[in-house]
Amino acid sequence: MEMNDEARSTSGGMTALKPETVTAVLVLLSAVVMMLAMKLVNPTFGSVEQLAAILTTSIFLVVASYGQGLVILLGGIDLSIGVVMSISGMMIAGLTNGSNEALFWALPITLVTCLAVGLISGLGVALLKIPPFIMTLAMGTTFFGVALGVTAGSSQRTVAPMLQSLMSARLAGIPFPILFILCFLIAGSLLQSRTAAGRKLYAIGSSMVAARIVGLPVATITVAAYAVSGLGAGLAGILLAGYSSSATLDMGDPFLMPTIAAVVIGGACVTGGRGIYFGTFAGAIFLSVLSTIITMLSLSQGWRNIIQGGIIVIALILQTKQWYLFSMVNRQLTRKRPIYTGQPQNSET
Amino acid sequence: MRRLQWAGILGVVFTCVWSVNCLYGQSDQKYKVFLDMSYSGNTWQAAAANGIKALAGTPPYDKLIEFKTIISGTDVQKQISDIQSMVAAGAKAIILYPLSPTALNRAIQQASKKGVLVFTYDSTVTEPLAYNVSNITAHYGANTAQWMVNKLGGKGEIIFNHGVAGTAVTKTYDEQAYAIFKKYPGIKIVGDFYGNWNDAISQEEVSKILAAHPNVDGIWTVDGTYGSLEAVVKNRPDRLVVIAGQSNNGYRLMMADPALQAKGLQGVSSSAGPAVGGYSFKLMMEVLLGKKKLTSHNVEYPLPWVEAKDVKVCSGDRFEDGCNVFPESKVPPLFLDTALDPKFLPELSLDAVQSGTPTAGAAIQPLPDPKYADGLPGINCQDCKAPADALEPNLVTPMPVQK
Amino acid sequence: MSQPIRDRGRPLPSSAFAGLLCLAMYAVYFFKTPSAFSLTGVTDLLNNTVVLALAASGLTLVILAAELDLSSVGVIAVTNVVVATISTKLPAGAFLSLLAVCLLGCLAGLLNGWLVAFLGLQSLACTLGTMIVCEGMALLILDAPGGEVDAFIMNRLTDTFFAVIPVALLIMGLVVVLWLLFRQTRIGIAIYAIGADPVASRLSGLDVRWTKLIVFTLAGIAYALAGYMLSAQTGTGDPRVSNSFLLYAFAAVAIGGTALGGGRGGVVGSVIGAALLTVMQKLLFALGVAEFYTNIFNGVVMVAAILFGNLSAFVALHQRVRMAAR
Repeated sequence: MEMNDEARSTSGGMTALKPETVTAVLVLLSAVVMMLAMKLVNPTFGSVEQLAAILTTSIFLVVASYGQGLVILLGGIDLSIGVVMSISGMMIAGLTNGSNEALFWALPITLVTCLAVGLISGLGVALLKIPPFIMTLAMGTTFFGVALGVTAGSSQRTVAPMLQSLMSARLAGIPFPILFILCFLIAGSLLQSRTAAGRKLYAIGSSMVAARIVGLPVATITVAAYAVSGLGAGLAGILLAGYSSSATLDMGDPFLMPTIAAVVIGGACVTGGRGIYFGTFAGAIFLSVLSTIITMLSLSQGWRNIIQGGIIVIALILQTKQWYLFSMVNRQLTRKRPIYTGQPQNSET
Repeated sequence: MRRLQWAGILGVVFTCVWSVNCLYGQSDQKYKVFLDMSYSGNTWQAAAANGIKALAGTPPYDKLIEFKTIISGTDVQKQISDIQSMVAAGAKAIILYPLSPTALNRAIQQASKKGVLVFTYDSTVTEPLAYNVSNITAHYGANTAQWMVNKLGGKGEIIFNHGVAGTAVTKTYDEQAYAIFKKYPGIKIVGDFYGNWNDAISQEEVSKILAAHPNVDGIWTVDGTYGSLEAVVKNRPDRLVVIAGQSNNGYRLMMADPALQAKGLQGVSSSAGPAVGGYSFKLMMEVLLGKKKLTSHNVEYPLPWVEAKDVKVCSGDRFEDGCNVFPESKVPPLFLDTALDPKFLPELSLDAVQSGTPTAGAAIQPLPDPKYADGLPGINCQDCKAPADALEPNLVTPMPVQK
Repeated sequence: MSQPIRDRGRPLPSSAFAGLLCLAMYAVYFFKTPSAFSLTGVTDLLNNTVVLALAASGLTLVILAAELDLSSVGVIAVTNVVVATISTKLPAGAFLSLLAVCLLGCLAGLLNGWLVAFLGLQSLACTLGTMIVCEGMALLILDAPGGEVDAFIMNRLTDTFFAVIPVALLIMGLVVVLWLLFRQTRIGIAIYAIGADPVASRLSGLDVRWTKLIVFTLAGIAYALAGYMLSAQTGTGDPRVSNSFLLYAFAAVAIGGTALGGGRGGVVGSVIGAALLTVMQKLLFALGVAEFYTNIFNGVVMVAAILFGNLSAFVALHQRVRMAAR
């Protein structure tokens, strides 16, 4: 249900907010609320340094979830993100081997490889009609096997120092990763929602049949979405390798489920057609804050899991409920001012 | 015509299957020995597996055994299935990394009753017919916790880095470490997280906790040590910590670095090392070839213990003359120095543990008599009682508790 | 011009290809490992299959209704540790723990169903959340692998019935029979309708929400039984969740011909898919495939099986079109 902004402009009223934006803002607000609540319980929580640390470490999830968001917009899913992250980290570490000069050719090679993995998944989904769940799962398993065979599982050499220092650099006092995620948010949102390709993505996700009838290049866009997902995972892997100064074959595994959770908490619909990157971004930040809070509570792993799973479910419940809130808010915003002609003109109850 | 085509296809298929059968046919002169890995794709497992593979290819074993590696993955049913497959394929000996101390017992029992020798490494099983080789009984948690307490003078703030939840190792070591820390009222654990033996996660979590508790004095880890220390070095470089943990090469080098020591870094490098795999394999082969008889089914592999003053950089490819760490340019920082063991595994060189190729010119050396391990219920035995001092340190003298 | 339409018979169900492939794999496996073609060998093989088969069956019901369910491994972990902790401590432990786990599975399924059907949450994310919660509960009940499973469960359920038929086969057969009966009932048909077109189903008077609730509940019970059988297999409890098992379950369902979008397929296919995946592991072992190739093989076979399934559906459609055009 896309809201048409223009039709809502009335005299004196405001344009309605897109529902997805409201969702994203609410998710960020909940993250803030959680932090405040935690601060009451534990005053050491929530210092500026800690917030900076939380935002810095959320960069991997933010970048990796971008591609997942695109793919889910199509009604698909990408289960190979964890493996692609690991492969990308291993490649950039193994190829640069501690030298900065090698970055110039190692970076493109790594990114292209990850793009290629995504491309193959996309081809399988678009041309061979293999369900995305299975195709990306098979890709992940297969390439894990390939990487295992090539590297025998050994960790790789140090990543180029330039990459490492990039992750801990500061620009005007703000850590570079935080600036990066802000730029990435803007760029990603523009690419997804404002470009023609992005709009086609939404159309295909809403109704593939209608998109075909209208003549949209469904196969091309599908392949492109999966390729970008691979690219995003590759970029996240490179950043992770720079952050931890090393790479192992299992470094990407903890990120797969959180990317799915981030996209969905951010308001995207799993069957496709709805969701903006701002929402995914908010979901990623939310999850990072959540995991930090859970750590600070010093509970046993069992309780940590219960809280984490419970919060995910609660976030989803709140999302469905906030539709009521949203429609009420929008009605207030766009209400026509009553002009007395003897008959009521606004249609709200 | 159709029938001819079908016959042709059937013939081709039959030939393919038959040739595959011949390719992987059996040769009855050699013992069939299998290595069964569960986790794969991490540095520790890779180093252990490579060490075992290298030893299997070292004379005289290369002529005596037909060696194969199986990766069972993280599903316990698959490992059960693989053990049964190995037995059906005629295995004489299996060395495995069990996913669970108890779930495989029946499969191992079946195997042992058919005359297969079953050895485990690092991770243990409670099946009495299996042989466990591990240092889980060597009081890692108690020793490292006590060492940290001694270095901190009995007071300070500590970050606790758990391993993977739900494993026997994590439960045992956590129990020991908590027991020691609790004895000293001046020691406070200000943050704990599940690092899952992963350096990237450890680094992220420590940096977050450090931001909330800027006065942390120490970090206790089982693995993920390098990542934990990196977080401190990057965020609070002027005041480092007392830290206990793994034996990554990068970590040992940092421990011994005078510049870092001047900023307060005190580290001990211990934890389970991949060489336990090679040691278990050699022990298994000696039992298989009748050279040794073990009187107990639980063997203790000595706990590595390297403090800053013991660190000595090697000049060659092996650990000789007491050297125990490689220069920075030679190996990745996460390389595990405990993959090599000059005392028990002199046949292994750097190349062997990184790629699995046997060291040229090496020959298998006999092992001394093993040290037998305590029984820990639920870890390596079923109907047994833990010794009274199971939670006490046995390598480090405790400092007195100040009231 | 008008010829009587020759009835070429109904097109094969999409699980037929999976079934043929499975039989072929079994044949090659027994040819390669003659010692496995014994009662113990076959029993072992079926014991390895039954947990996956039960989980995949439950998952099939949910997928038929066009929803997803990630909570299977969580429920299995919880039920496994419950059996390991109570079955030896209570009298008639085997039976009581069976009741207990069925109850647990039912509750988990009800929760999932209520959240998805009545509160309208997305099933993928919602069941991800419940899986994590179940994992946490399992860790709280048992913090490290251990516990002890009652001897009856452990020995009798993995054994053979009157030394002829493996119990695991009986259980899978029972599941298939129950499914074939269930498919004829109102609810069984309703599941297919809802999966194929939820809007039309609702407009034609089917109660979509209650049906989905029942679907999730039945799935939960199936997972609980899978956990119970896992306890029988391993004889102990393990609170950890195996992500690869979750993926195998989905693979079994997809290989068996059930469309992940809902409305097509069945439990029979999923049981065949589970058997196929299990025997493939054994086959790769028997053929001596080097260890890292097995991953690649797994990936390729999954894709190939789906392709076969799609191909057969396409061929069937093509046949129908040709028949109708005559």
